[in-house]
Amino acid sequence: MKNIWQSVLLLSVLAILALFALGLHNDPHEIPSPLVNRPAPDFATQALDGQPIRLADYRGKWVLLNFWGSWCVSCVAEHPYLMELARNTRQRSDFVIVGVDFKDTEQGAAQFLARHGNPGYRHAFDPGQKIAIDWGVYGAPESYLIDPTGMIRLKQTGPLYPGWFEKMALPLIQATPPSHQGESR
Amino acid sequence: MRYQYVLSLFLLLSLLGSPPLAASNRNEDPSEALVRKIARDLRCAVCQNQSVYESNSDLAKDMLVVIRDKVQAGETETAIRDYFFQRYGDYIYLEPTAEGKNKILWWAPFLGLLIGVIALWRAILHWRTPTSRDNTAAESTPLSPEMAQRIRRDLEKTEV
Repeated sequence: MKNIWQSVLLLSVLAILALFALGLHNDPHEIPSPLVNRPAPDFATQALDGQPIRLADYRGKWVLLNFWGSWCVSCVAEHPYLMELARNTRQRSDFVIVGVDFKDTEQGAAQFLARHGNPGYRHAFDPGQKIAIDWGVYGAPESYLIDPTGMIRLKQTGPLYPGWFEKMALPLIQATPPSHQGESR
Repeated sequence: MRYQYVLSLFLLLSLLGSPPLAASNRNEDPSEALVRKIARDLRCAVCQNQSVYESNSDLAKDMLVVIRDKVQAGETETAIRDYFFQRYGDYIYLEPTAEGKNKILWWAPFLGLLIGVIALWRAILHWRTPTSRDNTAAESTPLSPEMAQRIRRDLEKTEV
């Protein structure tokens, strides 16, 4: 009887230590997003090209929403991949990339795109980061993958990396039947 | 000489009567108090342990603007807190709420205390009652003749 209690005590102490060791590897800067698998918050604002832009207009397609700013260093690192991804997915009718340039100036954004290359897709302009806060963004870059029905399916905190689309997005896109995708078009 | 005392007393009293310099928010918008209250209870998302109200980061300042807009639009405190909770999760609350998984944290100490009390109670009962093992040991092994003899010998040797 006594031995049982001793091993129970030992096991619980070990379990607590194991949890503690696991917790030490958590990044306190990374906040898990509760928005995944929730309907995407819509926005309607001005785009960097001066025309109005509305997220709901892309309903029916998979949308990669990329939050960035010309002040963001990691966005420079991410940019070549976004250029490549935009080039490679240009033919897809079911996938589109939309940028949100937040906490930025129009000149800053223009300079960034002139210097690092313009991937060709549209960017919502969000100087007061109202959209960013509405999307639970706390850093840059952050990206969301939204499915054709307008549900958020994935969040990437930090830069997208080469192979991200094939590894993270494509399995989701392929797992969703195309008939379902066309529903809300 | 005397009028100097009167003057200094007067000056002192006038100082006491004047409002402190920090209380300059008396002609602010009345809704600002609610903004402050909400912002003090929300964690700035890029700081580890600073409220939206205290933080100087750009994100916190813009979050404050969002809170102010919502207060002025007539939204309640619960609605605004919930708005941020929906987007940033329970990280955003500076004071953990007693909901969901957090309930474990709130109730575990009391559960531990209860288990401790029960264990202590059982232990006390155990110490106070003679255990069955002591009784059976005495009954099952009667004193061997050699042992009885030895005890008697030792007793005789002992001066009381």
